[in-house]
Amino acid sequence: MSHTILVCDDAIFMRTMIGDILTGAGYEVVGEAETGVQAVEQYSRLKPDLVTMDIVMPDMGGIDAVREIRRLDPEAKILMCSAMGQQALVVEAIQAGAKDFVVKPFQPSRVLEAVQRVLG
Amino acid sequence: MDRARYTDLFLTEGREHLVTCAHLLLELEQAPRDPEPVHGLFRAIHTLKGMAATMGYSQVTDLSHQMETVLDAVRQGKRRVNRPLVDVLLETVDALTAGIETAAQGQDAELDYRDILARLNTRPRARKPASDDAAAPNDKPAPAGLWVAVTIDPAAPMRGGRAMVLLREAEALGVVSGVHPSVSELERESFTGQFGFHLASDAAPAAIAARLRTVGDVLEVTCEPRPRGRVAPGTADRHAATPSSPTVRIDRRRLDALMNQVGELVVTKNRLASLAAAHGGELSAAVDRMARLVSEMQAEVTLARLTPVAEVFDRFPRMVRDLARVMRKEVSLNVEGRHIEVDRSILEQIGEPLLHLLRNAIDHGIESVDARVRAGKPRAGQLSLIAARERNSVTFEVRDDGAGIDRAAILEKARREGSVAESVTSLTDEQLLEVLGRPGFSTAERVTSVSGRGVGVDVVLTRIRALGGSVEIRSEVGHGTSVTLRLPLTVVLLRALLARVGEERYVIPVTHVAETVFLDSRSATTLNGRQALKLRDQAIPTVRLRELAGFPEEPTPARQPCVVFEVGTRRTALVVDALLGQEEIVVEPFEPPSGTPAVFSGATILSDGVPSLILDAAAVV
Repeated sequence: MSHTILVCDDAIFMRTMIGDILTGAGYEVVGEAETGVQAVEQYSRLKPDLVTMDIVMPDMGGIDAVREIRRLDPEAKILMCSAMGQQALVVEAIQAGAKDFVVKPFQPSRVLEAVQRVLG
Repeated sequence: MDRARYTDLFLTEGREHLVTCAHLLLELEQAPRDPEPVHGLFRAIHTLKGMAATMGYSQVTDLSHQMETVLDAVRQGKRRVNRPLVDVLLETVDALTAGIETAAQGQDAELDYRDILARLNTRPRARKPASDDAAAPNDKPAPAGLWVAVTIDPAAPMRGGRAMVLLREAEALGVVSGVHPSVSELERESFTGQFGFHLASDAAPAAIAARLRTVGDVLEVTCEPRPRGRVAPGTADRHAATPSSPTVRIDRRRLDALMNQVGELVVTKNRLASLAAAHGGELSAAVDRMARLVSEMQAEVTLARLTPVAEVFDRFPRMVRDLARVMRKEVSLNVEGRHIEVDRSILEQIGEPLLHLLRNAIDHGIESVDARVRAGKPRAGQLSLIAARERNSVTFEVRDDGAGIDRAAILEKARREGSVAESVTSLTDEQLLEVLGRPGFSTAERVTSVSGRGVGVDVVLTRIRALGGSVEIRSEVGHGTSVTLRLPLTVVLLRALLARVGEERYVIPVTHVAETVFLDSRSATTLNGRQALKLRDQAIPTVRLRELAGFPEEPTPARQPCVVFEVGTRRTALVVDALLGQEEIVVEPFEPPSGTPAVFSGATILSDGVPSLILDAAAVV
């Protein structure tokens, strides 16, 4: 059975792109969220194997969403998606419990490597 | 040998070793078959013994030697690790901790260790190790600590973030310490891509290296054996990932003094900025530039004072263990984020509030074993203490999986007291905090016994708010309670006098204070037709704080306290209603409300939570 993934990003463009990269590699994108609140809600409903999380989102940012999800499920596997120059936020996200991160602009191979690392 | 010169060093190092011992003993109790804590204990006590012998402290030497003998028996599988043994070893560590202080004062001969020595040596005569395989560690030597050196692809984006991912991964394998460059430097990416740390782990070095190499953007990981503890001088550079480590040790008091002066500088800068604003032009520009430099300097000094929270956290496992035992609970403490660094001023203030919270959680939150079993929970209450960094703040969370707070009981009490309107039918988390944090409320015996949590919540709230922080509480009946303290990463501290006029208190930084005296009929004089203070045959002009602060005139009492300021060669005596003492205060950024007299250059929240204005001596003189 392929791994299930929840994609969280406030931009449809980014969700589509990440979704395509993941489905192209045989993963199953089971949900999409465009706010932190949605991310938490969908996580508890869908229990995906992995979450990709944008850092800056309206209505609860990605880092707070990481905290909230990890509180619900300390085993949750979360991959942060960050833009250049957000190092402090990435560090914060990792301290909050995110497992790994990728930096935009995304190269499909790097995204998939990171996904494999986190799931592995 | 002039031994006195070494006393300080002996004490500093001796204390460190004993703290390590207490820590390792708790580890040992958790994992009696793990050989590593025993080896660590043995090394630490052995070192202490050697040091004490060198100093000529024979009682301390003797007790260390006996403890070492017992540890050796454990190490060889001749003595079994159980609770009574850990208890007596902890007692020995306590005795030594007190003992080295006594010995350092030259009173070693007065130490009487007969009682503890007797208990240390009462034990079942050593059985044959073979018959006691439960306690016998493997014959092969324990894995020594490793020095892990990591190279991250210099071309990779966000190497600091990568380093954090790798450290998290390493923490899953064992205990990480001695990260170099420091974690905060890694976070800020002020490193070349190479860093190293000490890892105490049971896993094989090859397996560790292989696992860490799976982290993204990592070019190379090497693991070399390295003895626990400090590296001998001269060998440090060989092991360090970055070839030169330009660190110096510095006396804390120097850093504190520097910090205090920076605090004064910040206050002066605020004053200067408000004066310059009236002039504009070049003066304003120069002041702006100076303000930036002052801020940078403040940030640098603050960084130099950053200290890992481990310094405070490491004493909690022992306390929790003791408290749990006294309260007849089973508690398993999980500590996270020991490596996180915060301003030492904050660290010094945070210990007590955290202890309050931990004690509350054990006493009132976590249920008895029977109740837990009935509720289908694990026997041991899960208690977590978690430090985490956020952008410019640090959070400390104390979380338990106990019974949670009985809101109905709290609400009923609050209604009876009239602190909550009759119409309120349920309490939100915020309201709960406000009610619990009301002084006096929490200590009411009845509520505590019914509801749980409460003792000292007001103390916690006041302390944290005085530091510019905030408190959050979350509680769910049957599932437990979590309290989060959120604090700024750094604060600017100032030593100051507190003065009172009317009901109002004012803060006077001590920098320009020459002395405090009384103004009365004997010391009153006049200078150029105005009232002055006669001090050692010199007349010093007086200024009334009552007047400066815009209070109405009142009949002058016969005897009034005065603060004598000295700025350069000029002196002025400030007359106040009363002097209340000294306090370390936190300087807050200050936007003066319109109409604030210009002699005030900042504001602060006093330790009892009341805001107060900071007086600028230079503006008065």
